[in-house]
Formats: sequence, structure tokens, C-alpha cells
Amino acid sequence: MIILEDVVKNYGSDVPALNGINLHIQKGEFVFIVGKSGSGKSTLIKLLLKELDPTSGEIFVNKKNLNKVTRKKLPFLRRDIGVVFQDFRLLPDRNVYDNIAFAMKVVEAPNRKIKSRVLAMLSMVGLLDKYKSFPNELSGGEQQRVAIARALVNRPAILLCDEPTGNLDPANSNAIMKILEQANKQGTTVLVVTHNMDIVAQMKKRTITMSDGKVISDREKGGYFYED
Amino acid sequence: MKIRSLMYHFKDGFKNIHRNRMFSLASIATITACIFIFGVIYSLFQNFEFMVKKAENEICVTVFFDEGLSDAQIKQIGDTISKREEVSSMHFTTAEEAWNNFKSEYFADFPELAEGFQDDNPLANSASYEVYLNEASQQDALVSFIEGISGVRQVNRSEVAASGLESAARLIGYVAIIIIAILLAVSVFLITNTIVIGITVRKDEISIMKFIGATDSFVNAPFFIEGITIGIVGSIIPLGILWLMYSRIITYVLSKFSVLQNILVFLPEGEVFRVLAPVAIILGIGIGALGSTFAVRKHANV
Repeated sequence: MIILEDVVKNYGSDVPALNGINLHIQKGEFVFIVGKSGSGKSTLIKLLLKELDPTSGEIFVNKKNLNKVTRKKLPFLRRDIGVVFQDFRLLPDRNVYDNIAFAMKVVEAPNRKIKSRVLAMLSMVGLLDKYKSFPNELSGGEQQRVAIARALVNRPAILLCDEPTGNLDPANSNAIMKILEQANKQGTTVLVVTHNMDIVAQMKKRTITMSDGKVISDREKGGYFYED
Repeated sequence: MKIRSLMYHFKDGFKNIHRNRMFSLASIATITACIFIFGVIYSLFQNFEFMVKKAENEICVTVFFDEGLSDAQIKQIGDTISKREEVSSMHFTTAEEAWNNFKSEYFADFPELAEGFQDDNPLANSASYEVYLNEASQQDALVSFIEGISGVRQVNRSEVAASGLESAARLIGYVAIIIIAILLAVSVFLITNTIVIGITVRKDEISIMKFIGATDSFVNAPFFIEGITIGIVGSIIPLGILWLMYSRIITYVLSKFSVLQNILVFLPEGEVFRVLAPVAIILGIGIGALGSTFAVRKHANV
């Protein structure tokens, strides 16, 4: 599903942000990416979204070589990838329902599909009763659940989560992880970049540790390696 | 772009205009000024051209002949003149017709004065051709040609003021083009800025749209609708003002300069607006689309 081959990203300084990354993530996997600040995690997410291009190496997402994806075809690549950010990035002037429906409207989904799919997502994240609430009326955990619903509503093949529990307490973090696990069980490949070691330990999923732009550990079932 | 998305874009476009209403109003005002000036200049030129054309159609050269020329010789001269390309039409006036015309013009109120001449025609040598021209500017060439024909005694020419007016009008036209060009540039600049503000306000939304997989055309459509709407409104307002003013100004001019009623013949509104209205609206749409393009190219690449 995601393949990185000898990927290097250099922003111009002496030390590259990513230095020869090789990664294979299979369809339907749930993977944590951990590492200190500056280890290259965010650069990796930006490369997968083709927000940035690698200095060298090749990246394949859902069998598409990102080096060959043109600007015109980029939106269609991104429809295969749902994204969840630490700061939620909800639209403050729209209610919960409209925030989720927005994701379907911008990809020009038929109106008849929007209502049923949005309600299904609201049910999945447990916010059916709050569909009329605006983001400022929700807790951090609820806002993140809306963001996840928005990311999943178009049924992407991959869900990228950049520090999804960064602003949440342990209870809300656990609730978010349960939703991500549920999405994964339904077939979505989930990639979670996080600092939250408790969650990583608890979830017992494949964990890739990065340091100074390199993968220093790739372990199955929750083991992680954090080098100080 | 799918049809069902259009409503969504229109809603967004109008929302942008409402959000930045002060800037939108400033843009509309500038386009209004630009198109108003364009409309005034266009109406003036159309009417001026109409009057010049009308005056040109009435310009004629009168040709008189040497004494004792036979009818056949006069006819031959007529044939020579009629072959010239400057000539639009010709009319022959016999000496008798000339005398009758003179009498009806000057002695109508005193027929007894004409009786003194009895059968003696004082205009016996005044048979003439009235030669009408295609264009006033061709008069000099035609007159010098006719003067060179043997048997021609005299050629009377029309006074042509039109050529002087034409050069003055051309000068006014150049100045107007410069003013319109400056206003066009200001309009495009203001629309660009108005839309850039809309883009800046919605930067986060645009960024989310692009992450979700919205195409560039989907993201940019509301901004084009915003620009084009401003352009259309900015062109309809001056058209309305010009429509209301046009007949009033004509009535005023004709009442003030009633002496010149024969020269001042204006086109009806319908004739002027048949071309002006679509041109002005296309101009408004063009200004709006151009402003949107500049704004989107520079700022919507989030």
C-alpha cells in the first residue's frame, strides 16, 4: 500500500530531514511512527501527501508512483488518503454535520450519498446527537472524532494521523484509538505518527522508530525503541 | 466541474462578496466609472459618426458649363464625371429648372418682381450637374478633376467642417483610450485585491479542501464567480445610468441649440445600446475574470 525506496529529503542544510528511508506498509496494516522532534516524521507525512517532493528515491502510494503524479492528478491521489491533524482543522463556521459533509461536497459526491454516509460516520464516532453543534461547542476529543469522521467519510484506502492525540487527555486518546482501530478493521490502512508512548505500548501494533531522518527500529506488536 | 457543484460555488462566491463588502463595493465603483466613461465616449463617437455620415451624404459639388455648349457636350461631360469612383449620385438641372427654383425661392412672396423678366431667363447659362460624393474627404480630388475637363466654367464646392471635427474627435478618442486603460488597470487591481482578501480569510478552508482532494477548478470556482459577479454588477450600473441620461441629454442639447437642429441628428437609444450593452457586460466579465485569475494564481496555491 505504501512503499518508500531510498527516500532522501534535503531542505538545503547539511543534515537531510530524511536520509535513505526504505519502508513497506501492507494493505490493512496499523502502523505507529514514533521518534523525537526533528526525527523526520512530519516530513514523511508531507511526502506521502505529496506536499513535498523527495530529493531522491521513490514513493508509491496505492500503487501510484508519487514522482509521476502531476499537479492535475494530485487531488485524485489525495482522495485515497484521509488525513487527521493534531489541531483538528475543523471549519469553525460550520456544524458537525456540515464539516463532515464538506469532505464529500469538495470531491463532488452525489447529494443522495452524502446524507447517508455522513450519518453513518457520525454513528461510528459516537456523535449522532451532536450533529448540529459547532466546533467551539465540542471538547477536544469530540473535535478530533469529527476530524476522523471527515477523513474517513470518502472511504480512503489510507488514513494518515499526525499526532491525533497530541492535544487530548488519556481517556479521549483511548477513545480516538478505538475509532482508528475500528476503521482499520474495516479495511483502512492506518498510519499514526505519535509521541504518545503509552498508547503505542497499549495498542501493540507495528511500530517504526525514526531518528535523524533514518528508521532505527521497525518492530511488530507494540515494541518500540526510543534512543536518547 | 459537475452541475450540482455550481449551486455550491455560487453560494460560496456570494458569501465572499458579502464578507468583503467594502472592497467589493470599491471594485464595483471603479468598474462602474470605467465602463461609464467608455459608454459616454462610445455614445459620443457613434452619434458623431452618424452626423458626419449624414453630412457627407449631403455634400455635393455643382458643375457649370461654358456658354454655348450643346446638350450633347454637356451630357458627355456628365458621363465623364459619373464614371469617377468618388461619385455617389448625380442630378442634372436645366437652365429653366434653375430659374424656376430661383423664382420659387426668392420671389415667392413677390411674383410681380419675376414678371419683369417675362420670358427672358437670366440664368440661361446656369444649367448644372449636382454631383454627390461617397465621402467628404474625396471632394478636393474630384473638384480638381472636374476643373480640368474642357467646357467646365465653374465648380462650386460644399464647405466641409467635418474633417476638422474628425481630427478633434480623434484626439478626444486617444485621451479617452488612455483614461479607460488606466481605469481598467485600476479595476483589475482592485478586484484582485478584493479576491485575495477572500482567499486569505479562507486559507485554512482551502488548505483542508486540497488535502481532501478537491481539484484546483473546484477550489477556484467561487473566486471566479465572485470576480465575474462584481464585473457584471459594475457594468450593469453604468448601463442603467447611461440609458436614463441618454434621451434626457439629447432633449436638453436640442432645446439649447435649436438653431443646429438640422446638423444635430442623434441616434435613438436602442441603436446605441444594441452594441454598447453587450460590449460593456463582456468588458465587466473580462475585468472580473482577469482579476480573479491574478488573485487565484498568486494566492490559492496552498
